Amino acid sequence: MYKVLRLAGREYMAAVKTKGFIISLVMLPIFMSGSMIAMALLKDQVDIRQRHIVIIDETHQMGAVLVDAADSRNKTGVFDEETGEQNQPEYLIDLQEPEADLTQQMSRISDQIRNAEIHAFLHIQPSAIHPAAHPGNSAINYHSESAALDDVRSWLRDPINAQLRRLRLAEANIDETLIPDLFAYSWVNPKGLLTIDEDGNIVDATSSNELQSIALPLVMVMLMFMMSMMGAMPQLSAVMEEKTQRIVEVILGSITPFQFMLGKILGGLAVALTSTLVYVGGGVLFLEFKGFESFIPYDILPWFFVNLVLLLFMLGALMTSLGSVANDAKDAQSLSLPAMFPMMIPMFVMFPVLKEPLSAFATWLSLIPPFTPMVMILRLASPVTIPAWQPWAGLGGVIIFTLLVVWGGARIFRAAILMQGVPLKFSNIMRWMTKG
Amino acid sequence: MNAISLEHITKRFGDFTAVDDLSLQVPQGSIYGFIGPNGSGKTTTIRMIMNIFHPDSGKVIAFGEPRVDTHTDRIGYLPEERGLYKKMKVRELLRFYGELKTGKKVNDDVELWLNKMELSDWANKKVDALSKGMSQKVQFIATVVSKPDLVILDEPFSGLDPVNTNTLLTAMLDLQKNGATIIFSTHDMSTAEKVCDYIFMIHKGKKVLDGTLSDIQNKYGTDTLRIRCEKKAVGLDSIVGIENVHDFGQIQELRTTPGADRQDILKALMVSNKLLSFEIMKPSLHDIFVRIASTTEEVSHV
Repeated sequence: MYKVLRLAGREYMAAVKTKGFIISLVMLPIFMSGSMIAMALLKDQVDIRQRHIVIIDETHQMGAVLVDAADSRNKTGVFDEETGEQNQPEYLIDLQEPEADLTQQMSRISDQIRNAEIHAFLHIQPSAIHPAAHPGNSAINYHSESAALDDVRSWLRDPINAQLRRLRLAEANIDETLIPDLFAYSWVNPKGLLTIDEDGNIVDATSSNELQSIALPLVMVMLMFMMSMMGAMPQLSAVMEEKTQRIVEVILGSITPFQFMLGKILGGLAVALTSTLVYVGGGVLFLEFKGFESFIPYDILPWFFVNLVLLLFMLGALMTSLGSVANDAKDAQSLSLPAMFPMMIPMFVMFPVLKEPLSAFATWLSLIPPFTPMVMILRLASPVTIPAWQPWAGLGGVIIFTLLVVWGGARIFRAAILMQGVPLKFSNIMRWMTKG
Repeated sequence: MNAISLEHITKRFGDFTAVDDLSLQVPQGSIYGFIGPNGSGKTTTIRMIMNIFHPDSGKVIAFGEPRVDTHTDRIGYLPEERGLYKKMKVRELLRFYGELKTGKKVNDDVELWLNKMELSDWANKKVDALSKGMSQKVQFIATVVSKPDLVILDEPFSGLDPVNTNTLLTAMLDLQKNGATIIFSTHDMSTAEKVCDYIFMIHKGKKVLDGTLSDIQNKYGTDTLRIRCEKKAVGLDSIVGIENVHDFGQIQELRTTPGADRQDILKALMVSNKLLSFEIMKPSLHDIFVRIASTTEEVSHV
């Protein structure tokens, strides 16, 4: 065992003593939370140029209200309350009468938009007030070069719908002032479950939001993914290089191929665990320091580490064995994509699993060994409670599968590691695994 | 006792038989030379001794016992293809290789060998800063720093200048004096002749020579004549009793047919050439090697 640990120690030191390791240790959280940081940094970077919007209102009952709503917004809603600086663009609305040739009119306005003379135009058809009578007809259309992502379109929704309700109430001869909170929209508040404390008292449920629900599983799975990239993936090219540079034969003069493979896996595992401990330890300390102890998932952390270790073992065996069959960097590149499937598939299905952690799809996927470590953690970290037997069943499956991967990988490794120039074929790999 | 005994070992790769029913005994404390053309099975044989390859049939016995993994700790191995971690420092690398072999610290031995091979000034340099000769010496130290009982050197002198070759040869002989057994493969026949207690030749996977140099030469008898002429030798091919002429320019080596009368050959030589010297001798190892390696016939076991 000393030899295995000595080899693992060399691998570990060769990895962590580099500047690249320190840089990646710092850069990883930045990459992981890159979009959130970018959003936070750029939240004040709003284009405050005026938006000129043309409205063609065939109902003749909507346009003026929208002009008033825009004026009201321009007076109160585009300035920072504390500094008084403008932080949102003004909306300037120009009402145009519908022409006899409406199509020609809309085409002309479209050209004006292309020439950046105006920002967008809104076309309100007569059927807008009673759309149910004209099913399938798009009664209100917003036209711009990027209509789907346009903030103006989102803003228009409330004043348009409020005016439509007023018109319908007026037709029904109902005085809207008689109905309090007529236009007060209600929000369905997401809350957890009630609990019972140590004294037997019922504790009210706490509110949750979408960010809280996905942040923990997302962070844990992303961490697993990144640690696999750091601890297991490099083994493929490292073994390929040691093979092509003939270092392997020197090493095999001192230890067996299995010891060699085990040393490489343990070295990679140690590198990944070092980084994980830095991040998890740092995260726990930060949350405690900030007074958010309740957000620290102490009950899930043991499962996280056990699954991470097994994932790294499984991937390490896979990567070292595939590295042994590669003859050059091109081979290693070809092999790296299929080798990443156990990590990529859970990433692809992350959001469907998070949305329905108890669905048959999520349950079965979390019990299929190559995907178990990441998918099971995803389910465990979600707000719902999954049946207690499932993490244990998943763990048993992963242990058996990992042993099989190590066994098969060792057979491939032993057969292929000293073979130079043997074509990279699936049949060869299967033959080495089955016949040694 | 034999350091290594190979008993009818065979190794195949698919349809190709790399080593065929090979038996060999390497006495403890000896220097055993492995010679043979490229691709003849030398390295495969060595890898079977090292337990890197398992023979398809036959047995490898090391130090009197069937070969097991733990024997590897007693064997130092310098492969034909050199392999060093280029980004490691020399001292760090040697300690790593030594500890991997012995399972314990080898710091003192590393310093000893660095001094001996005049590499102390390079101990803190990275391997990729070394010249080829220095790298070769580092690889040699990595092989012997664990004080192995058996040292296997696959082509240890390839690419070395004469000074470094002598340094390595001296180190090899020192190891033997201290009781180690040495197996080395080489294409340098003159070195093999000078250094080896025993020589083994493998050709097309089969053993074709095995024994001391004099044993081997005696099998071929004194069928070689070495002559030197005042001017360029002429008419050698047409002399009755001569089957092969090897002209080195300044001297010529002639191989005689079995039963040829050397007096008659001398007379014939003197008719067409002015001889400066005429010597009856045993064939050199180089000559024997070439004779065997150039034959296209199926070789037979010794």
